[in-house]
Parts: sequence; C-alpha cells; structure tokens
Amino acid sequence: MSVISSYRTKIRLASQRMVDGELDPTWRIMADALEAGAQEYGGRVTEHITDYYGRQTRCEFALVTPDFPRGVGVRVGAGGEVTFIYDHYGGYQRVAAEITERITQNYTALAVARALKELNYAVEMDEHRESAAPAGGSRRRAVVVRGSL
Amino acid sequence: MTTRRVEVKVKPDGSVEADFAGFHGDDCLDEAQRLAEMLARFGLEVSPVAARKKTPAEIERETEAVGRVRGRDDARVPTRE
Repeated sequence: MSVISSYRTKIRLASQRMVDGELDPTWRIMADALEAGAQEYGGRVTEHITDYYGRQTRCEFALVTPDFPRGVGVRVGAGGEVTFIYDHYGGYQRVAAEITERITQNYTALAVARALKELNYAVEMDEHRESAAPAGGSRRRAVVVRGSL
Repeated sequence: MTTRRVEVKVKPDGSVEADFAGFHGDDCLDEAQRLAEMLARFGLEVSPVAARKKTPAEIERETEAVGRVRGRDDARVPTRE
C-alpha cells in the first residue's frame, strides 16, 4: 500500500472493571499504562489525587510523580468514557498535561500491541524522539509498534 | 510467501499513523478494518483523519525491508542437496 493513514483515537474502557472475577482487558491495559508511566517518571500508582488545599479525591487510577505529587487521576464514567483529573494551580499545568499525554500514549501503544498480537502478528515496540520540538518545549516521544505476519 | 508488516506510530497526544506493507491490492484496507475492530475490543476507538501517499524514499525503504525479510525466509527453507 502506498498510503499512510492517520487516525484520531479515543479511549473507552469496559463499563465493568471485573469480568468473571478477572480484571477486564481494557482496565488491565490502563493499569499497565499507568505503571509504565510510574516507572518512567519515578512515581507510583494510587487511587486518589490531592488538590492545592491538600484535599483528596478518589478515582479509579492515579499517577503521582516527584514533579507533580498531587497526581493525575483517571476517572471512568458509567459508559467507560475516560476523564483525566488534576489540580494544576500554582504552575503545574505543563507537567500535568505531559503526564496526561504520557498515560494516553502508553495506553494507545499497549492497546495496538495487544490488538496486533491477537491478530497473530509478531510484535515489537520501540520509541524515539520526534525530529521537531514544539515552541518552547523539548522534542517529544513517539512510540512505534511494529507487527509482522 | 510475502511478509506482511504493520507499523503504527503513536504520537504524544495518542493519535496514530498506520503503515501497511506487503499486502496485495485492497487487502491492506481489510486488514486496517480488522485492526480497528480489534482495537475497539481493547478500548481504543479510532477514526480516520487523513491519508497521504508515501514518498519515493519511503517506498524504496519498504521494498528493501521486505526484500531483506524475504531473503531471511528463503534461507530457512530446507533444500535437498
């Protein structure tokens, strides 16, 4: 094929976290996406975030890092829709947005790898920095998932 | 048999760029559809945004890569001597 196609993506988890006593695959991928983020940032996965006043808010998953100890939370609606929540007041907007992007990117890459495996592809994954940096920022990470059949 | 390859680049915002190589005719479109359906099962809804033709350099790289893989496959075929 001599065409490269671009797609917009949207994460939607299963409405039920557990299926037959086991974590649903979509929830498992989200847990793995946060765990990968925790390893990358030297953080940890919890189930609550903290706001500027120190109040805690519960959520399904949260990623707390040394650079953003309030954490980025993941909330899952009744229909499986995913919302990221955090309090960026006080100059944390950039780092909170970066963590949110990283979770989204990790989820997408893991879901693509899982889907290709399910279609019997041999899968490998690697990452690289994009050649162009956004204004005022550093070069961002791209993840490449390759499948061969 | 030709090796079929799928390469998916995941950008920081979660959008993706997919490249199918080694498919005949419209097979790549069918495979793209199968992949989209499988992704939905794993919680990822995809909607097409754009498609662009590969550059001559990309086509050349792809041809070389498929050729290398074919070479490896041929080397594994047992021969009678």
